[in-house]
Amino acid sequence: MASSLSPSLPTIFSTLISKPNHRSQTLQLSFFPKKLPSLFMARSADNGTGGAAASAVVEEKVESMNPPAKIEEVKDTEESLSSNGVAVENAEVLAFKDPRWVGGTWDLTQFSKGGETDWDAVIDAEARRRKWLEDNPEASSTVDPVVFDTSIVPWWAWVKRYHLPEAELLNGRAAMIGFFMAYFVDSLTGVGLVDQMGNFFCKILLLISVGGVMLIRKNEDIEKLKKLIEETTFYDKQWQATWQEDYKSDSKN
Amino acid sequence: MAAGQNSDFLGLRLASTSSEARNANRRRLSLQIRASKSSPRLSGRPLRVAVIGGGPAGGAAAETLAKGGVETVLIERKLDNSKPCGGAIPLCMVGEFDLPLDIIDRKVTKMKMISPSNVAVDIGRTLKPHEYIGMVRREVLDAYLRERAAEAGATVVNGLFLKMDSPPAGSGERYKIYYNEYNSKKSATGEKKEMEVDAVVGADGANSRVAKEIGAGDYEYAIAFQERVKIPEAKMEYYKDRAEMYVGDDVSPDFYGWVFPKCDHVAVGTGTVTHKSDIKRFQAATRLRACDKIAGGKIIRVEAHPIPEHPRPRRVLDRVALVGDAAGYVTKCSGEGIYFAAKSGRMCAEAIVEGSAKGTRMIDEGDLRKYLEKFDKMYWPTYKVLDVLQKVFYRSNSAREAFVEMCADDYVQKMTFDSYLYKRVVPGNPLADLKLAINTIGSLVRSSALRREMAKITA
Repeated sequence: MASSLSPSLPTIFSTLISKPNHRSQTLQLSFFPKKLPSLFMARSADNGTGGAAASAVVEEKVESMNPPAKIEEVKDTEESLSSNGVAVENAEVLAFKDPRWVGGTWDLTQFSKGGETDWDAVIDAEARRRKWLEDNPEASSTVDPVVFDTSIVPWWAWVKRYHLPEAELLNGRAAMIGFFMAYFVDSLTGVGLVDQMGNFFCKILLLISVGGVMLIRKNEDIEKLKKLIEETTFYDKQWQATWQEDYKSDSKN
Repeated sequence: MAAGQNSDFLGLRLASTSSEARNANRRRLSLQIRASKSSPRLSGRPLRVAVIGGGPAGGAAAETLAKGGVETVLIERKLDNSKPCGGAIPLCMVGEFDLPLDIIDRKVTKMKMISPSNVAVDIGRTLKPHEYIGMVRREVLDAYLRERAAEAGATVVNGLFLKMDSPPAGSGERYKIYYNEYNSKKSATGEKKEMEVDAVVGADGANSRVAKEIGAGDYEYAIAFQERVKIPEAKMEYYKDRAEMYVGDDVSPDFYGWVFPKCDHVAVGTGTVTHKSDIKRFQAATRLRACDKIAGGKIIRVEAHPIPEHPRPRRVLDRVALVGDAAGYVTKCSGEGIYFAAKSGRMCAEAIVEGSAKGTRMIDEGDLRKYLEKFDKMYWPTYKVLDVLQKVFYRSNSAREAFVEMCADDYVQKMTFDSYLYKRVVPGNPLADLKLAINTIGSLVRSSALRREMAKITA
């Protein structure tokens, strides 16, 4: 029974599973032309307008702030498609364009929302620009240099955006660990919570647990830390190899 | 480049000193066993040393040896060899090796770092009027150093080192080296010759045959690719005193792309360890990033060369020592090697001269190990700091953005140039160091935050 079923089972499963998987993958391929050479080629393979329009739609969804800029870019690629230029010239045509990108920096007056600068939008725009440049590296220019500096975005804008959810998690975790540690120390030694605060050993324990929570957020972090330590000592080992050998031969003598 | 910021990495500094202490322990052990006091006096002849390879390491070693009364033979395969090489030398090398100013093609006072998002930072605002990075052509520098060695009394042989017979370790017998001598009068294939020497200095570069002979082991190497481009006079004006470094995943995943000015052209190149087969693509990307500035240029020469990443596992065996690229003395991050090659050659030669009491006594491994000890002690911190910098800042595009942001700071520039030009790690101002550390972390956090945002765009 089992032996007759077993060969057919996997095939059924694999067809069931692989089909939708396959479809979504191909979809993704045609909708998201990813890397720099393929960006261009994928579009030309997609027979021009269809693929380009689709990608424009998708990008609009992500960033609905300024559709005009996006369309401009797409037009550019189409033009260069027809002109059939050489690799280097393509990049020149494909320069990053955005109405808010003026003179090598983001024009902050265009980002104002209710009298104040909307820093979130600035971060969004800069991320998009960097992403674009990663896919389409641009020639550096001495005529119009990039002067935008991320440090003009105030620190609280970054904190607000990125660190609140994570801080919540870490805080909760640290509180839990702290509570249980206090409980265990109390039950084992009979030293109460208030007395623990004055105890040097307990203070060290507290520091270790806080440090541990910061460093090890996920299980993979342990592996990562190990690798990091290995990596930092690797070069030392390479340099010391010649002395190690000396040591070995000495101990043999 | 930025060897000055070691104060950010306090933990590492501690680690290196403790390892040094351990090393010192070992050294003491080795010296007890290999004391050269008892080494026999040579009768009726000076010590004879063969220097294999006539680059900066070989040239410097041969000169110091010859001046120290040692009979020196320098064997170089191609006397007009122009190695593909950035050709940058620090200011202190000009003084220490007494180089004439006319071998320096260009004095670079502006170093432009360009980030993946094309933020450009001019490093060098803090330079004093007399400070610069010298740009040399290797064929000129090498020839000059060899000439000086010859003047000091070394015999320069145009030959190709083939192999050598080593005597049993510690026996004190001579090495027999085999080489092809190329004499312009005779046939082009060269004439087989052999010679007996007391010690061998291997300065024969990345593909060292001497290293192979002593089983020195391999090192990881980066491949550097470089095109010499002759660009129109008007465009050359921009590169008159400026060098450019491009960073980014497009240009190189673990190094940088460069445009260095030469006498009448520029060298455009890039290097990588991890993705050697993609080097052509990286080169194209480097060309593209610089394309406005080198447009209309004509490529006059294409070169590629391996660059060692770390020292060989064995750098000394009995009376054979490796120096320069053969030993693997190239810094990470900046990929600098000329100065360290010349210095290691000179240090090795000094150790031989001293150990042999100006060529009158036989030397042994203990003498050569003194050179290793001195070199490691003097330059290990520099190498380590640059390794850390490379690991931290060449990791990803976001780290590179942070690196370039950091380089805009005057304090960083001053520390960087001080440590580069004078090759000493100067302790900085603690308060400024702290500020720098905070700024650096800020830059890293900002750019990695942007990176996360970029990842969201794709998904």
